Amino acid sequence: MPLLDALPTPRLRWEGRHPNVVLISLSLIMLVALWTFDAVSMAPNRIVSGTGYGALEAFGWPGALLATLLLCAIGLFAWEPSRRHYRALLAAIMMLMVLMPFGLLASHHLLLDPELPNARLGIGAAYWVTLFILLLCLVEVRLRLNLTRLWPTLLLSGVALIWWLCAALGLDNLALVQEFRARDRQFLSAVAQHVKLVSITVSVSIVLGLTLAMLMRRYARLQKGAFAVLNFLQTIPSLALFGLLLAPLAWLAANVPVLGQLGVSGIGTTPALIALIAYSLLPIVRNTYTALEQVSPETLEAAKGMGMRAGQRFWQVRLPLALPVLLEGVRITTVQAIGLTAVAALIGAGGLGTFIFQGLGQAAMDMVLLGALPILVLALVVDAGLGALAEALRPGGTQ
Amino acid sequence: MIELAHVSKRFGDETAVDDISLHVPKGKFCALVGTSGCGKSTTLRMINRLIEHNEGDIILDGQAIEAYDPVKLRRRIGYVIQHTGLFPHWNVARNIGLVPRLLKWSVADTQARVAELMNLLGLPVSEFAHKYPHQLSGGQAQRVGVARALAADPDILLMDEPFGALDPITREKLQDELAKLQARLHKTVVFVTHDMDEALKLADHLVVMREGRIVQQGTPLALLQQPNDPFVDSLLGGLERGLKQAALTRVKDHMTSMGPTLPAQSRIPAGFSVRQALSMMLRDHSDRLTVVDQHDVPVGELTLRRIIKEAQLDKGSTPRE
Repeated sequence: MPLLDALPTPRLRWEGRHPNVVLISLSLIMLVALWTFDAVSMAPNRIVSGTGYGALEAFGWPGALLATLLLCAIGLFAWEPSRRHYRALLAAIMMLMVLMPFGLLASHHLLLDPELPNARLGIGAAYWVTLFILLLCLVEVRLRLNLTRLWPTLLLSGVALIWWLCAALGLDNLALVQEFRARDRQFLSAVAQHVKLVSITVSVSIVLGLTLAMLMRRYARLQKGAFAVLNFLQTIPSLALFGLLLAPLAWLAANVPVLGQLGVSGIGTTPALIALIAYSLLPIVRNTYTALEQVSPETLEAAKGMGMRAGQRFWQVRLPLALPVLLEGVRITTVQAIGLTAVAALIGAGGLGTFIFQGLGQAAMDMVLLGALPILVLALVVDAGLGALAEALRPGGTQ
Repeated sequence: MIELAHVSKRFGDETAVDDISLHVPKGKFCALVGTSGCGKSTTLRMINRLIEHNEGDIILDGQAIEAYDPVKLRRRIGYVIQHTGLFPHWNVARNIGLVPRLLKWSVADTQARVAELMNLLGLPVSEFAHKYPHQLSGGQAQRVGVARALAADPDILLMDEPFGALDPITREKLQDELAKLQARLHKTVVFVTHDMDEALKLADHLVVMREGRIVQQGTPLALLQQPNDPFVDSLLGGLERGLKQAALTRVKDHMTSMGPTLPAQSRIPAGFSVRQALSMMLRDHSDRLTVVDQHDVPVGELTLRRIIKEAQLDKGSTPRE
């Protein structure tokens, strides 16, 4: 037995080894979902709605048994948590995520009727619920093992790669794959447009937000008014704001020729950007302002007493100490903008929202997914990336 | 040298500092003592112009402080504050090297100076240079604070309750080290504290403040012998005053040469304080102690009678070396 394992584990860290109730309940929910909800659905074509199949029919008994055993293992490891058991939990979670596309391959094989080449395999509720809960489990295990955000990001990228390979190579009849194949060019340009809209929104908001926050610090009176306006903007439903901009911008474009030449019009990119920036300003300004104000007055007083000039105090002390909270604002704003940009498709700004609204119009849920899933992935990637950056920038590794 | 002449400071209608005059000669240690809100911190912060005074003159090395550029003035005055004010995003070496960097010293000079100061303050470079403030204990952090204040070798050091947030044992240790450091460096120090024992222990010149005014100032011994006010008396410990005075005098100043009688059983080193001698007498039920030198060789004796008699007559014995 290795020496380290023979040493007593510090009790505090594992909370006296009480069962981890969170993980146990999550594993139970997943078990219930696996055996009650549909794992997959199969439809003979795009128009007809499909029939659902449970885990046993979809994966065959070996697959269903394997999934059940892994889920039980999560519950059992969580019953008596230790560092080793959390590692085992991480392994079980990752294994389930990796096995999920192979489950789809299995049902592809078991359920597909060779005489119906247009049959479509849909992903069922059991899958979505399990995937979502596994992500929650991953967060819990990450915190318990004290891992940085980078780890789950790397692991999930690996999982995503495996999913993609399975989809590309063996899941021809998966509805999602078919929707993608029907419009792959359109899909890529939609992703590009989505990213473009979000990037412009976030970079303009950062510049405007920082300027506004600085002005607020200088002119106390501005602070109340500006926050009131930004808060008010935030309360307008996004759809309404897009709509409200339509008329004035169309009028402007028609009456001020310069603006029209610049591409301003009632619909399209311009009103979308204006609305998106309006929404993004509040979180950026609020976080920047708070971040700059929360720096300890004693530290700043010391900086002054040491003979630092105002500029040096700002750039060398206030700003670096504010940076983690400030970046948190950028993170919230970006994630919010990624979601809101989907709505911008309604006024012809393009992006992944196009698929969502088209799919809703045609009652084709798989097409909605084709728009929604990449939005989700984008949001998760940005969230993890900026979160890791903020973590790395914490002064001297403090909390 | 620092000179304050009829200095006042008002915040709105409130007078924080009221017509105070004070003289700190070069190389001397001046302690400002008083209850909280008595204006002692304000007085200190007026010297490096963190607060601008309203009336009177503050003169530094023969020149009114208004004549200095405030930033340049602060760079030549060391400043230590209670909660250290260390920059949490910089490691120890970078914190200490701040003022030399502001003064545009070369990198090599700054590094050498930082290493020198860390050694001086008992912070081994290899162990501490790359630590961040949150990884330090309170005592270590305040050592870094003192090192940072000394970095550019200023003549003047302002210390605002530097040991106020430390536990009693660490506080006493740092006080002893500061006393040693001062004996070596001879900075002109203004030290704010509400702890009278700390002030008595460190100061050459003691200033008692109340409600923005100076109530009494003088050497610690002079104040102990003749507090001119019940407030000063109570700050100095009332009934405990006699013992505090005894703590400031050395055994060797009161001993007599060996008498004709046999040496007493209890021995006390000549460098100890009379307070310690009194305690030893009480403990050993004896009114006579044998005084020994550092090699434990008897050099004289000390009697209770003599301590009491000299305390009566004492007008100017040398406090501490």
